[in-house]
Amino acid sequence: MATRSAAPVGRANRPGAHESFLRHRRFRWLKIGLVLALLALAGFLFIPAAPGPYGGTWFGYTLGTIGALIIAWLALLGIRKRAMTRGRWSLKAWTSAHVWLGLALIVIATLHTGLRLGLNLATLAWTLMMLVILSGVYGISVYAALPASLSRGEGEQTQPEMVEGLRAIDRQLGDAAQPLPGTEAERVREAMAQSPFAAGLRRRLSGHAPDCATLAALAGLEGSQADPAALARVRSLLGRRRALLEKMRRQMQLRALLEVWLYVHIPLTVALIAALAAHIVSVFYYG
Amino acid sequence: MGFRLRQIDYTADGRRIARDREVAGDTLAIGRAGENDLHLPDLAVEPWHATLTAAGRRITVRAVGDRGFALDGRQVTEAVIDADAGAELRFGSTPVTISREADGMVLVEIEGAAQVRPDPADDKAGFALAAVMPGKRPLAWALFALILAVFLVLPIASHLTLAQDGTRVRAANATGHVIGDKAWNPGALSLAHHMLSNRCEACHVKPFQPVSSETCVACHRDVHDHAPAGRLAEARAPAGLGARVLQGVGHAFGHEGPGACIDCHVEHQGMKAMEAPRQQFCADCHAGLKDRLADTKLGDAADFGTLHPEFRASVVTNAETRQRSLVSLADHPHEDSGLTFSHRAHLDRMGGVARMAIDLGEARGLGHALDCADCHQRSPDGVGFRPIDMERDCEACHSLVFARVGGTFLKLRHGDVAQMEAQLSNMATPVTPLDDTRGRPGDFGASYANGGLYHARFTPGGAVARAMAPDGICGECHKPEMRGGKLAVRPVTQTARYLPDGWFDHEAHRQTRCAECHAAANSASASDVLLPRLAECRSCHLGEAASKPKIPSTCVMCHSYHTSRLAPALAVNIRRRQG
Repeated sequence: MATRSAAPVGRANRPGAHESFLRHRRFRWLKIGLVLALLALAGFLFIPAAPGPYGGTWFGYTLGTIGALIIAWLALLGIRKRAMTRGRWSLKAWTSAHVWLGLALIVIATLHTGLRLGLNLATLAWTLMMLVILSGVYGISVYAALPASLSRGEGEQTQPEMVEGLRAIDRQLGDAAQPLPGTEAERVREAMAQSPFAAGLRRRLSGHAPDCATLAALAGLEGSQADPAALARVRSLLGRRRALLEKMRRQMQLRALLEVWLYVHIPLTVALIAALAAHIVSVFYYG
Repeated sequence: MGFRLRQIDYTADGRRIARDREVAGDTLAIGRAGENDLHLPDLAVEPWHATLTAAGRRITVRAVGDRGFALDGRQVTEAVIDADAGAELRFGSTPVTISREADGMVLVEIEGAAQVRPDPADDKAGFALAAVMPGKRPLAWALFALILAVFLVLPIASHLTLAQDGTRVRAANATGHVIGDKAWNPGALSLAHHMLSNRCEACHVKPFQPVSSETCVACHRDVHDHAPAGRLAEARAPAGLGARVLQGVGHAFGHEGPGACIDCHVEHQGMKAMEAPRQQFCADCHAGLKDRLADTKLGDAADFGTLHPEFRASVVTNAETRQRSLVSLADHPHEDSGLTFSHRAHLDRMGGVARMAIDLGEARGLGHALDCADCHQRSPDGVGFRPIDMERDCEACHSLVFARVGGTFLKLRHGDVAQMEAQLSNMATPVTPLDDTRGRPGDFGASYANGGLYHARFTPGGAVARAMAPDGICGECHKPEMRGGKLAVRPVTQTARYLPDGWFDHEAHRQTRCAECHAAANSASASDVLLPRLAECRSCHLGEAASKPKIPSTCVMCHSYHTSRLAPALAVNIRRRQG
């Protein structure tokens, strides 16, 4: 997944060109992560464990310790990302390590369990970790695939421009609708009163707006007996408003797709740290 | 009489601007259409929305169309207000305040922007998902606190309060138990310990201490040590670097170190019989035992397939004293059981014994050449065999009848030489000696006996001597000797278990024919020890790592670490448990 999805983002061959954090230093952290995972797998397969592989053998403890250290370090990205630096320990290097070591964790932590899962705290920690990693994988995928569509194809209009455009349309609509009789004016007012930003998570992710008041107003003006000149002007403005709203909804959808995983990734990371701490303490408490 | 319309606006720096305009007459038209006296450019307002009619203090407000207005927050279509008291009306989204000025004019105040319009888009922050989602931090901290409380604080607090009284924790009938530690259970307990599943504290007594051997022994009181602790320490191979590091780490966490119960017995591996310790635990000491314990009699052993000494059988080396010693099967041991016996003669399918057994016929439980089970009976537990009992297992053929009196027979008593002497020496005339021929009781005269197979030679006068002769009725099995001046036979000792420390179980081998392990058919002497040697066992059994069709056989398949001499009984118990 990694190399392929990274391809459109990083064009690292040109000197000075942007290099994706995934490809950082020719996949240095991918290689380190792979070596870790392979070592863990080799140990799992070839080191005899009695009475079968589980977290309590010396190799199991080793995997658990490495896994816990990696998790703790990966979680530090949340603090580290607030300070941008360059060089060997640049934020990009950190992010690259965050991704590749996080993926290696799937192997390390799963082998630490000895493939024994049950209804217990250890499995809760493992499950939380897997959810965090999976949400992270989703995050990388959308980061690799979406920002291009976020920046192009919307008529070169930035988000503040869209908001300003909507305001301009509404100012004109307010004036243009003055001659309309009560019912029609009410529809226009309702359309203007509906904020595009009121849409919740599901609406934003789907990009649909089944109760779009602007669309309803356009439909409601059909067959109106009002002054045709005013009506035509209002209709034209509503049409522009609708087109702009669609653009805005598309932007919101992209933003939602880009940001939604963090609502899983971050709270579950914190939950994972709690579960991990409880797991480690309990293992030694009941030594 | 008239209306004073006051439009109040605020400049960007908050300064208030009031613009007054007067309308004569006692009615005021309110609406969105420009022709109204009070023009409200609010789309929620009807083009002709309402009229105000003033009559002195009394002001009547009447909606023109269906859409009413709000009076002090209440939606109405008509209202009468006292201008002196004043009121707040709301048309669409525009609030209008009515009051009366000192000069008698009705003051109508409109506050706010001239054009009231909802502002849908404050800034671009609305594009972000964060605009509609609850914060990540509250959710994160809530989960954090919940998990720590349920899975860490609760069990530890519960354990600490309960652990105040150590005896209560360990007592089998303890009432209270630790709450919330079930989630700590890494895997189900073995069948033997399953009843402790909800009482973790029964074994996990002290916080941050591994389960101690003392705790195990509190219940397992009868478990014997393998050897004195000092000797065990001496026997153990020095740990390698890696193992020393691990032991160091273990000690740091309170682990008791090599030889603790939990070193071999690992719990929480699922609800099944506890897994047998791996052979490495034994090999740690026994692989090079001779190098470390010079005085040991045990050969080095590490793996049944590759390093295991030849079996040493407990054989009787002196029938008189019944002394036993362990002799390696490699040294071709001879047993002095006190008997004379040829397995070959009995098992030879073409021999006289076979002939006799066939002639006896199925009605008498034979009718075929003898096989092992015709004489050897399994012990009730199936582990071994009952000792041979002359009357039960031999006498059917080897009759002790020596004379006939009228319609009945006289029979020697087995095992009583003095009685035999008395009976045979005092044979009186009326007694009919069974000259030369002898048969099964009740079968006297049958054709097979006439063949002269047995020659008891009970002829009067020399009867005792004849009986004790090597082919006499006693001497064919026993060795006559004089003891204390009296005639006797050599004491007979049967061996119930040649490998007393082993867990060999015949039941587990019942699919195997006896002859595959016991070369009885070629044994002409009772002194032969008919045990299979190591190499023969290895034709099926190899070490722990054996692959099919060989049977992986760890040390504990045949050996017990904690007990000895009880092995056969244990074998039965274990078989029963495995069911």
